[in-house]
Amino acid sequence: MAVSAHLRTFRHAAWLGWQMESNWTRPWLFMIYSIARPIAATLILVVMFLVVKQGVANDPAMFAFTYLGSVFFMFVAQVMMGATMVIMEDREHYQTLKQLYIAPISIRVYIIGRAMSKLLLTSVSVVISIAFGILVLGLPLDLGTVDWPLFAAAMALGISCILAIGIALAGITFLTAKHSSGINEGIGGAFYLLCGTLFPLTVLPSWAQAVGMAIPLTYWLELVRRSLYPGSAMEAISGLGALGSGTIMLYLVVSTLAFLAASTLIFRYADRRARRAGKVDMTTSY
Amino acid sequence: MAYALEVSALSRAFTGKQTVVALENVDLKVKEGELFGLLGPNGAGKTTLIKILSTLLLPTSGTAKVLGYDVDGEASKIRPLINMVSGGETSGYGLLTVRENLWMFSQFYGVPGSVARERIDGLLKAFGLEDKANAKVRTISTGQRQRMNIIRGFVTDPKLIFLDEPTLGLDVTTSRTIREYIRDWVRARDDRTLLLTTHYMREAEELCDRVAIIDRGTILACGPPAELKRRMNHASTFVMDTTSFDPAPLSAVRGVKGVSADEIESGKRVRLVLEDESAISDVISAVVSRGGRIVSLNKVEATLEDAFIEMVGRGLG
Amino acid sequence: MPLNLRAAVGRAYPRVIGALREPSWTFFDVLLPLLGIAAYIYYYRALGAASSFEGFVVLGGAMTAFWLNVLWGMASQFYWEKEIGNLQLFLVSPMSRMALLAGMALGGMFSAGVRALSTLFLGLIIFDVHMTVEEPLFLAAVFLVTLIAIYGMGMMFASLFMLYGRDAWNISNLLQEPIYLVSGFYFPVRALGPWVSAAASIIPITLGLDAMRQLLFGEQALGLLPVATELVILCVLAVAFLVLARYALRYMERLGRKEGRLTLRWQ
Ligand SMILES: Nc1ncnc2c1ncn2[C@@H]1O[C@H](COP(=O)(O)OP(=O)(O)O)[C@@H](O)[C@H]1O
Ligand SMILES: [Mg+2]
Repeated sequence: MAVSAHLRTFRHAAWLGWQMESNWTRPWLFMIYSIARPIAATLILVVMFLVVKQGVANDPAMFAFTYLGSVFFMFVAQVMMGATMVIMEDREHYQTLKQLYIAPISIRVYIIGRAMSKLLLTSVSVVISIAFGILVLGLPLDLGTVDWPLFAAAMALGISCILAIGIALAGITFLTAKHSSGINEGIGGAFYLLCGTLFPLTVLPSWAQAVGMAIPLTYWLELVRRSLYPGSAMEAISGLGALGSGTIMLYLVVSTLAFLAASTLIFRYADRRARRAGKVDMTTSY
Repeated sequence: MAYALEVSALSRAFTGKQTVVALENVDLKVKEGELFGLLGPNGAGKTTLIKILSTLLLPTSGTAKVLGYDVDGEASKIRPLINMVSGGETSGYGLLTVRENLWMFSQFYGVPGSVARERIDGLLKAFGLEDKANAKVRTISTGQRQRMNIIRGFVTDPKLIFLDEPTLGLDVTTSRTIREYIRDWVRARDDRTLLLTTHYMREAEELCDRVAIIDRGTILACGPPAELKRRMNHASTFVMDTTSFDPAPLSAVRGVKGVSADEIESGKRVRLVLEDESAISDVISAVVSRGGRIVSLNKVEATLEDAFIEMVGRGLG
Repeated sequence: MPLNLRAAVGRAYPRVIGALREPSWTFFDVLLPLLGIAAYIYYYRALGAASSFEGFVVLGGAMTAFWLNVLWGMASQFYWEKEIGNLQLFLVSPMSRMALLAGMALGGMFSAGVRALSTLFLGLIIFDVHMTVEEPLFLAAVFLVTLIAIYGMGMMFASLFMLYGRDAWNISNLLQEPIYLVSGFYFPVRALGPWVSAAASIIPITLGLDAMRQLLFGEQALGLLPVATELVILCVLAVAFLVLARYALRYMERLGRKEGRLTLRWQ
């Protein structure tokens, strides 16, 4: 298919996604909803930190480690939720999946387009959370010293990887009924636990560490932290201190490519299975 | 004679972006023991009336009494005595079996367990649904589901039951089973009353002791089907076949004064209700002057449908 | 058996049966909280917290089963029942609406209880968490009153949301993480300061958790108020929410009948 056709699908889907996200009867509820939930989730961690450490100043590096991990993980959670929701909503609520399916567009491009509004909203939440962290909680972050090129490169790779995971999940959603909406939370929860999001990988049992080291998100979070905190503060606690940033970048590239390939295979497989089993237009709620 | 339903000057409006008057100044009395039919096209206000009578909706003005109790102030006295089923509803829980669903709804009316079991068995048999008794509701077909819904209505042994288009979209056999059951149920005891809405003319004519014709929120006529037909005696009914021409035969004859018409076969056959037989010459010239030819023209016996066409000015489609 | 008891049992039945007939959901429902619990426990370990904190996490994780059930199985339930066409049939029937809600609550408590117990059990085993139950009767009383109070709150929301469908869904969504935060699901609520924890105490799960933490972990729980006081407040909240639910139901049903919003479907 021509690139221009993909672009058109993408633009259209992004617009549609935005319409759906913002088409709320009460915009204020929408704003609270999009921002309050992830921020509350982060604040739970902040309070847990404070209960134990009695103050950010007592262990600023660890605080930054957890805070940033939790804040940037919003991208993972939101995109994964978005990707499964696209399929569920289009299939069950609007019942447009079948039309979309037979239209000459790439469903994967469509899903990515629909995810864009989620990415945009999550970026807003992330920026708000970081500003809140610096201004209110005393998050020690100096924007002047940030390694922006490294940050940009890490984000680009990380977001591609997250989208790849989202597409694979969307594929699996093709095959599952509405009740198992837990799938995105289940896989998201596993990533949350295994990728050094809140705590250094070294706290986990060694088999879990090995699994974590095979997931690109681990390297993505590490690079995001290192780029925001040049120097050795993050390396010292993350458990990946032995690896240079270049090596980690290499691991991130390789594991992201592997995930992209896996995502393609999973999606293709799910797509075929769904068609064979007649699940493209099923409705599972009644 | 005790009345099961007494409705007087009842109106109901829905206010929203624009106000819709669903019922306007309705007066209606249904006697205990009657099988009463509400006949009207889509949007006539039938469901709205049933909702008011079954305590789901309050009137905007006017009063309605069900089994002697006011729907506004005495709803809790009405509810134990009635039940309601609408065609096409999807009630219950898909993961329960048919029997479990029926049992659950019977419990909301306090039916003792053994009594409920007995009634459910009897009703499942009467509606030919025994073999689906233990099937999960989400696996049964639309027609089976509708029979289950109707059983749900009767399982609480109400004194008065509302059936809103009970045979909507069902096949001939299932509809007949339901109709026969309905008739037998009302006849079995003389304190049982049934109010049925339908837009199938035949159903009303065949089943009901009395029928009210309702359109756009007002009751146009009320009486036994035979009497409604008799009112037509001053009028005459014809069936006319024509060649096809432009505009369609129906719109050509509808323009003629004193004539109500409905299409039987598109572009070819129409049914005419004439206030005065002499208008037939105007009908003929209306067809001929537009380049159509009459293939046949027969005078026929009036039916309830003709009464309806004359009153509403159009058929039920 | 009187009508309303039958009605409550009738409505509880599909919920109990549902939990037994679809064990796969239960599996997911147990596994998911365990992942979250694991993340929080390792986080506490990384911070070098005392082992009792891991116990707080397991307790909070188990109690989320009930809270989620209150949100999704109670508060937004009438809206859902309306969507699938059941609400109008419930409302034409002669049963008390409180009996209907009580049936929903009892059935929900059963399925949530299964999940909470499995989460608690697995959490205790996997993470080797120790709790000591020194006053089992007191603990049982706190637990029961907490359940009644949060389900009473769910009943109140159910009535309020009967007519405000979409909002019900959104608000239920909103009441997850923010409530985990202010009600102290994973840490002693006192950490939030006196004002926030006092305000959060209007949500019964806050004091319920605090009291249970105190009964299971003693001094380390950093309790907000003495357990007996908390139990008394919980009793008051339970009664208050049940009474409010009753009035809200009457009011909303009448409003719904007036505005024609009990049956939004085409029928
Ligand atoms: N809840 C409602 N809000 C607004 N309008 C309504 C509502 N319910 C019914 N109506 C309107 O009232 C009229 C009568 O509807 P209804 O009683 O359902 O007709 P019938 O059952 O005869 O087909 C219709 O115009 C319908 O659109
Ligand atoms: Mg209707």
